Amino acid sequence: MKVVAVIRQVPDGESRLKIQGGRVDLSGATLILDQMDEYGVEEALRLKEKHGGEAVVVGFGPERTEEAIRTALAMGMDRGVHVVFEGYADPVTVAEALAPVLKEEAPTLVLTGGQQADWDSQALGAALAEALGVPVVAWTTALELEGETARAKHDLDEGAEWVRVRLPAVFTTQQGLNEPRYPTLPGIMKAKKKEIRKVAFQGGARVEILEESIQEKARLQKVLDGKDPVAAAEELVRLLHEEAKVI
Amino acid sequence: MILVVLDHDGSKLRKGSLEALTRARKLAEALGAKVAGVLLAEGPAPVEEARGYVDTLYVAELGPYTAEQWAAGVLEAAKAGAKVILVPSSRQSRAYLGRVAYALKAGLLEDTLDSWTEGEWVYATRYAYLNRVTQKVRSGLPAVLTVKPNTTPLAEPLGGQGEVVALSVPSVPTVEVLERVQEEKKGVSLTEADVVVTGGRGMGSAEAFQKVEELALLLGGAVGATRAVVDAGWRPYAEQVGQTGKTVQPSLYIALGVSGAVQHLAGMNKSKFIVAVNKDPEAPIFKQADYGIVGDVHQVLPALIQAVKKLKD
Ligand SMILES: Cc1cc2nc3c(=O)[nH]c(=O)nc-3n(C[C@H](O)[C@H](O)[C@H](O)COP(=O)(O)OP(=O)(O)OC[C@H]3O[C@@H](n4cnc5c(N)ncnc54)[C@H](O)[C@@H]3O)c2cc1C
Ligand SMILES: Nc1ncnc2c1ncn2[C@@H]1O[C@H](COP(=O)(O)O)[C@@H](O)[C@H]1O
Repeated sequence: MKVVAVIRQVPDGESRLKIQGGRVDLSGATLILDQMDEYGVEEALRLKEKHGGEAVVVGFGPERTEEAIRTALAMGMDRGVHVVFEGYADPVTVAEALAPVLKEEAPTLVLTGGQQADWDSQALGAALAEALGVPVVAWTTALELEGETARAKHDLDEGAEWVRVRLPAVFTTQQGLNEPRYPTLPGIMKAKKKEIRKVAFQGGARVEILEESIQEKARLQKVLDGKDPVAAAEELVRLLHEEAKVI
Repeated sequence: MILVVLDHDGSKLRKGSLEALTRARKLAEALGAKVAGVLLAEGPAPVEEARGYVDTLYVAELGPYTAEQWAAGVLEAAKAGAKVILVPSSRQSRAYLGRVAYALKAGLLEDTLDSWTEGEWVYATRYAYLNRVTQKVRSGLPAVLTVKPNTTPLAEPLGGQGEVVALSVPSVPTVEVLERVQEEKKGVSLTEADVVVTGGRGMGSAEAFQKVEELALLLGGAVGATRAVVDAGWRPYAEQVGQTGKTVQPSLYIALGVSGAVQHLAGMNKSKFIVAVNKDPEAPIFKQADYGIVGDVHQVLPALIQAVKKLKD
């Protein structure tokens, strides 16, 4: 069995974003392995521990993405492939860029995060599945292998369901699926020696970002003291009715 | 043709479909194209209602939802030559449209706030970086757009009854649905609600959410929850607001016993007015709030319910 975890590097949600020349400037931001993808890395490791085989991490993005690939290797992935591309590529283009690598690797399962914390896109899993001609299960919270098929639980708009899916297949991952492990010191040492194969991508994106801006709404920040809860509640309701006009 | 995928609950169109139709009519006018609709259904579908909004309505009964089957349905309808496909944003639509965009070699613009055309380009604005950054993006044709709920006026019916075309969609048997774990649906849907009342870990227990439900009902809104609450099993996942839950943008968002972690803010920071009740004056949620009360939610929430009742009388 072979499992591929597809990952990207994104800014940490806590780090402040800057705009430079109408685009997000990440030079000062802390960059991390996308937490949603981390669930995919963890699941790949668990599947390997249970069923044997190989766990490969495939990263897409600029040169610096190698750091995130190393993090996945330090968690325990066997080896890495890095499809190098500077600049913006929309998720459908990313799937196009990764398709040759994934076809060559021919994994039983492909795992990737349900949403990316930079473009807030949820499309990569489905686009990868289309590129490979295999099914996709989105927002997976439980996954078990059963020979040629897998049984998975995943979220819908209202509720959830259990499905049986033919392998190979793509699964998008999220909270609830597992608790990702931290890289250990020996893990980090070993990761330094693990192979990362570099692949260039020459394509162009289908979607262009023309401008980015941060428009934080100035909040009124009118905070009332709740020592007298009845008085505070009545004042709040008055403000919502008369000032904000929302009730 | 501009194709709209009409989302519905089996008996009527969802509000999001009427928003997508408004967007489609605007793009159709600029591109000199016609608007067609497609109704994909597990069982019954509101065909008569939907015919009132379009000249051509494609209909397909597909059995249980799977991403493959729904993508196949949209692709079949798009064969008539769709330049732009518009779909109400939802967890499920966003989970299959990556397939559609890839298959059509189309640009995919997700969760758009607004859209327009210039020449042969489709432009849109949308949020990125956990809802903190506004992006202006564009794609050539064909393009696939998902329409964020509560961003667009609702379309009116056309006055006629469009032609109904039954689609024959190939069956894709790669995923078998074994068992639905349906969560109870009460009141208005979270993403479409104009008022959302969210309880956090500060509520203390599942039972305490009865009062959250009561306030939501009084205000005609929906109940939301933080991840901490969902993890504790107090509320279903379908109510989670945030990075891994739903993104909401109501006129009024009330956060009760919620600390205001970035992953939660990602799901609600664009709300028109934000209210916070928290016993800790240093809680980060107050920085994002228009109005707040520093106090114990167990005292403030019943008082709020009383105050709203008083206002209504
Ligand atoms: C990848 C990832 C994705 C995530 N996605 C989401 C997501 O989608 N949605 C989400 O919500 N979180 C998400 N989180 C979790 C997030 O980081 C926070 O842990 C979570 O939002 C905290 O929930 P909370 O505010 O209910 O609880 P807490 O942070 O514990 O806050 C409880 C608050 O209640 C107050 N309080 C306590 N008792 C009372 C009282 N009696 N009266 C008044 N106030 C009181 C406290 O002062 C405190 O501020 C995610 C995290 C990760 C890593
Ligand atoms: N491996 C499984 N395959 C199919 N259904 C399951 C499986 N595990 C649990 N279920 C069912 O799914 C529903 C919800 O399970 P849970 O969320 O684990 O409590 C219950 O009705 C279980 O019986």
